[in-house]
Amino acid sequence: MQVTLDKLSKSFGPVQVLHDLSMVVEEGEFLVLLGPSGCGKTTALRMIAGLEEVTSGRVHIGDRDVTDILPKYRDAAMVFQSYALYPHKTVAENIGYPLKLRKVPPPARDKTVREVAAQVQLEDYLTRYPRELSGGQRQRVALARAIIRRPAVFLMDEPLSNLDAKLRVHMRSELKHMQNTLGTTTIYVTHDQVEAMTLAHRVAILNHGRLMQFDRPKTIYRDPANLFVASFIGSPPMNMVDGTLTSGAFTGPGFAHSLGKDLSIGPAVIGFRPEDCSVVAAGNGLIPAEIYSNELIGDHTLVTCELHDGSAAPHTVTVKMDKDFEAEMGTEIGIAIDPAHLYFFDQGTGDRIRV
Amino acid sequence: MDTSATPPQALGAGRGMSAWLDRHSSKVFILPAVIVILAFSIFPLIVSAYLSLTRFRLAPGGFELRWAGFRNFDRLLFGSEQYHFLGTFGAVGWFGWIVMLGGAGLIIWWLVRYWISGRARVLGTIGRLITATVGFGIVVLATVTLSEGGAFGSLMVTLFYVTVGCSIQFAIALGLALLCAKPIRGRAFFRVVFFMPLMVTPVGIAYMFRMLADMSKGPLEPIWSLFGFADVAWANDAWAARMVVVVGDSWQWIAFIFIVMLAALESQPRDQIEAAQLDGAGPWQVFRDVTWPTIVPVAATVMLIRVIEAFKIIDLPNVLTNGGPGIATESMTLHAFFAWRTQDLGGSAAIGYMLLFVAVVICVSFFNLVVQRQKARFT
Amino acid sequence: MTAATPNQPKGLYAKLFEPKRLGIMAPGTSVLVYAGLLFWTIVVLFPLYWLLVTSFKLPIDVNEGPRYLPFVDYEPSLHAWDYLLVEVGGDTFRPYVNSVIIAAISTVLAVLAGSMAAYALARITYKPRFASILSFVVGIVAMIVLTVVAGVPWWLSLIVGLAIFALLARTVARRFSARLGNGDILFWMISQRILPPVIVAVPVYVMFQRIGLLDTHVAMIITYATVNLPIVVWLMHDFFLSIPRDLDESAEMDGATKFQIFFDIVLPLAKPGIAATSLLVLVLAWNEYLLALFLSSVDAQTMPLLVAAQNATRGPQWWSMSVLILLMIIPVVLIALALQRFIAKGLLVGAVKG
Repeated sequence: MQVTLDKLSKSFGPVQVLHDLSMVVEEGEFLVLLGPSGCGKTTALRMIAGLEEVTSGRVHIGDRDVTDILPKYRDAAMVFQSYALYPHKTVAENIGYPLKLRKVPPPARDKTVREVAAQVQLEDYLTRYPRELSGGQRQRVALARAIIRRPAVFLMDEPLSNLDAKLRVHMRSELKHMQNTLGTTTIYVTHDQVEAMTLAHRVAILNHGRLMQFDRPKTIYRDPANLFVASFIGSPPMNMVDGTLTSGAFTGPGFAHSLGKDLSIGPAVIGFRPEDCSVVAAGNGLIPAEIYSNELIGDHTLVTCELHDGSAAPHTVTVKMDKDFEAEMGTEIGIAIDPAHLYFFDQGTGDRIRV
Repeated sequence: MDTSATPPQALGAGRGMSAWLDRHSSKVFILPAVIVILAFSIFPLIVSAYLSLTRFRLAPGGFELRWAGFRNFDRLLFGSEQYHFLGTFGAVGWFGWIVMLGGAGLIIWWLVRYWISGRARVLGTIGRLITATVGFGIVVLATVTLSEGGAFGSLMVTLFYVTVGCSIQFAIALGLALLCAKPIRGRAFFRVVFFMPLMVTPVGIAYMFRMLADMSKGPLEPIWSLFGFADVAWANDAWAARMVVVVGDSWQWIAFIFIVMLAALESQPRDQIEAAQLDGAGPWQVFRDVTWPTIVPVAATVMLIRVIEAFKIIDLPNVLTNGGPGIATESMTLHAFFAWRTQDLGGSAAIGYMLLFVAVVICVSFFNLVVQRQKARFT
Repeated sequence: MTAATPNQPKGLYAKLFEPKRLGIMAPGTSVLVYAGLLFWTIVVLFPLYWLLVTSFKLPIDVNEGPRYLPFVDYEPSLHAWDYLLVEVGGDTFRPYVNSVIIAAISTVLAVLAGSMAAYALARITYKPRFASILSFVVGIVAMIVLTVVAGVPWWLSLIVGLAIFALLARTVARRFSARLGNGDILFWMISQRILPPVIVAVPVYVMFQRIGLLDTHVAMIITYATVNLPIVVWLMHDFFLSIPRDLDESAEMDGATKFQIFFDIVLPLAKPGIAATSLLVLVLAWNEYLLALFLSSVDAQTMPLLVAAQNATRGPQWWSMSVLILLMIIPVVLIALALQRFIAKGLLVGAVKG
């Protein structure tokens, strides 16, 4: 079912944590709310669930305005970060609890519990207690408890963040597969951009309670709307160099770049991704720099280069090079960048300057 | 000498007092507690055991203790003091027989269920047999003293205070804690006010309730008059007098249970409640399925503490009713105190020992069968 | 199959008891909740109010039926306050000071010794020989028999008892290997709370009489500290368990002695537990009646005895009692208010994991 947020705002006393969030989540869509901690993403999710009071704005699930009704009438199932399993109930009782509350008779309940448990590979653990399960198994119990209801919307609050790295990757693909099979609208909160990029149909990026960009993962990566999104998405993040943009040319420390378009902005930021640039011999390339350090990651080498901008703290940019790249630290070099992959931002507002 | 890097004095094997203390710290930490408990608990326990087997008599230039064997206990259980300790036995009617048989049946069923459960052990069996015997004894005693012509002795009065008092206290305290856990204004105020009775000395509470319960001059006189009770003297009615004692005791101890239960309610994980609410649980279902199972271990422990203290009740019946009418409100501690006052030291110690026995069996059973089991589910 | 999520119900019941959202109460619930809270507030405060107004009443105001409001129903009088605080001021003041001294010092001792034992049981593994304990009991029995039955002076029998214990522990007890663990020691200490004071009272009375400490502060302090010790051990043990062992070990690596670790690191961290436990123990000692009745008569008389003494030959002096009870309540309520925020947390740790 479609979920519509209409100018959703939330204040805790004098502190406003969410500013006029409006978006439409399409039926069957996997939406990820992404942002750094404290950006208001969990609050937004809890408002959709009905666990948090709405300060202003409306929430619609389907064509129903659910802003003023209790969570239990909203037909939304939630997976909590802590899983919120009932420690005194067995796995089967945990999974079947929503059905018990809906007065489904025990035989039918058992059958459904079995089916759902099979879906998440928990058939053999039905009589165990949550404390006897591993982290991944607990996570699956929480998922099963949400699935069994066939709700209109799944809400997930960082469901994978308590798992170890390997398991997280595994569960990520299971989650994606499951959502695709069930076709249920899903709103998923995370601070992990890899999760966001891999899971989502569309990603909504929040910062300080404001929606920064709402688009498909590929678009967000290739065409960030502003400085925040550009620097938040990507690992390692996009390199940013401060400078000024006057009469169609960007001037940075020791270099200038002509845009071929007459623009005068003033203080501006030039950005480029590590994979869109390369280290070349001194005197060549766009930006002069020296090697600060290099790290062999495996299939590639990350080269950190220090710019000559005269500041006390080293201002560095990262360049992604081939795994065979080698260079002495302190060597003077130049950084060449594909002009098609240069991004410009207004230093004051953070907005993207499209050239 | 270079001043730059003076190493701190090596902290190795030092000499002197503090080093000695440190080396023997494992003993020094625990010895004060062990010694005082030995001196003030084990020692009196042994002396009391000896006293309970003697007759105390004032003699020229002091006193003498004459060996009496189990005569003190014999007197309490079968002799002249039986009415005082066990109570007066009435004629058991058909209803009484049903209750006793039912009680016996329940206890046997409970034992059999344990034996066929496959978890039965020797120690567990012995413990359960003791619990079962005492439990059945109490059922029989309750039946015969409640039958036509029967009356409570101090043992049943104490058990009445413990069971009825503690149940009432738990129910009300839990109710208050649930009210205070609601989204209310002024929670801090209610918390402080509800906690206050615990601060009042039980002797003070007793006198306070004597004032309040005064039917003709107390503050509730208009209410009594309204219902036509103004001339009723509760102090002359055994059950009314017992209830007044229970009310006074409850007024104080609800505060204690309340504060612990409120803390338990406030510290339960919010996620679990929210998950249940999202899944469609109403307030009652949230309480039954999520809140209650989480707070049961705390409830069991706090009630164990309460029951242990409840067995020692003396101040309230002593001041409120002086044990009367007759012996109707006399708790075992008060009974022992009265015995001591009449210089029946042996009798007093014997009652104390009977109290210890009953309290230990009930408290240990409660601990093993309820508290431990509740805790085990969460570890 | 699955069941559909119910729709929001309509109707009077839902209107009254179904809140609009979480975190608020429906109007009907709200009325019931506040009614309940108000009722219990009255139940708690009215008796205290009655004490307060009674303390300003003349005998005639008490004896001639209930009078509720000072100035309206009767003319308040300071006679009881005046009598107790000025006329016989010394007789009120002395038990009050006694109570303060006895309750305060016994609380400090109980909390100190109890916390140390609790800490030790939470951190150090003890394996006392069962046989050593038996020899100790044999020593005590020997001592009692010598004193009570044979009439030997108590100090002599103490020496003999200790000698027997030492002898047995060093010889016979070594041959048996059965040992107890920390859990047994803990259970033993806590179980002492089940001992009815009435069992303890007579022997302790005799003991203090023999060593000439009857009716002294020392006797009362030691007795109260001991009877409250189990509560301290019980509540503090779990509090110490909840403090990470890493902190101890880190301090130990830095060269702290066990006592420095305990006093500098662990005790400050256990503040909520200490506060709650101290308050509980203080209240129990401050209000204790039965043991005081046995162990003190004049010099060490405490306040609860003085309150009880107002039920004199002239009949209960309600006004004086009220004054004394109020005087007793005020300081503990103030302390409780000061420690308020610790109480719940401190009691809970012990109760949850104990």
